[in-house]
Amino acid sequence: MNEKINLKDIERKAYTSYHQDGILDILIAIFILSIAGWIIVDMAWFGWIFYLIAASIYAGAKRAVTVPRIGFVKFPQQRYKKMVWVAVSLGVLLNILGLVAFMQTAGGSPPVWVLFAFENYMIVIGLFVASLFCFVGYTFRARRMYAYALLTFVTFGIGYFLSYPLYYYIILIGTLILLTGLTMLISFIRKYPLPAAS
Amino acid sequence: MKNNKSKDELPYIPEIDKIIHEPARLTIMSYLYVVDSADALFLQRQTGLTWGNLSSHISKLEDKGYIKVTKEFLGKKPHTALQLTDEGRDAFFQYRQNLKQMLESLP
Repeated sequence: MNEKINLKDIERKAYTSYHQDGILDILIAIFILSIAGWIIVDMAWFGWIFYLIAASIYAGAKRAVTVPRIGFVKFPQQRYKKMVWVAVSLGVLLNILGLVAFMQTAGGSPPVWVLFAFENYMIVIGLFVASLFCFVGYTFRARRMYAYALLTFVTFGIGYFLSYPLYYYIILIGTLILLTGLTMLISFIRKYPLPAAS
Repeated sequence: MKNNKSKDELPYIPEIDKIIHEPARLTIMSYLYVVDSADALFLQRQTGLTWGNLSSHISKLEDKGYIKVTKEFLGKKPHTALQLTDEGRDAFFQYRQNLKQMLESLP
């Protein structure tokens, strides 16, 4: 062991073990399913409330489930800060893009790129959501997020050739992620029982 | 015999920090090197050491000034955070350099 200290492996193991409780997956699944709920019935209020309190729910669930079982660890903040900066920049960029699309469409006939996005919306959404999963996977060093990215892209890619409503695919992806998260949570609780008080 | 060689016969071998060189303490130092801070339970889960062992190694590292033990509150619960000191971080970095240098100089 002394001959080879692989700090990258140790760092990854620390990250992985802290994020293998499935809580992040469950929250992402609820987020996705709330979008389906938003489309099917008017549940926008639920979506907005959930989005606003998601971070608090995550922190609370971590404190209630993860920390008592696996302990508390504070990771270096540089990575998260960088990711927040990237997320905010992306959000601003998307808003600008949306505004430009709206202005160009309102001013007359929609530009070609807007028409292309509308015609191939399944591919566009699939790519966008898959990119978000990759982003979350990189931030939390959770490799399964890349599998979710693939799942999303493949599902929406198949959906491009089928004619089912959009929410079918959203529910399918959300349910699969929810089941994965629940399975992970159960196995985490089994693997790490509460230690005896010391 | 190689083991019987005197220090003079191996001038390329640098000073290895024996406090860090012990496998359990090396593991603890490695984990604390890659995170900002962690508590004893986290280290115990990661290293697989018993409470007694972990506590004893933490005490040695703390005595040497390599780690800092801080009592704080996490929500309403008291919590003990362990963190590498600047001295500990430097010592660990130096240990890695020395070990690497030593291994690279082996035939």
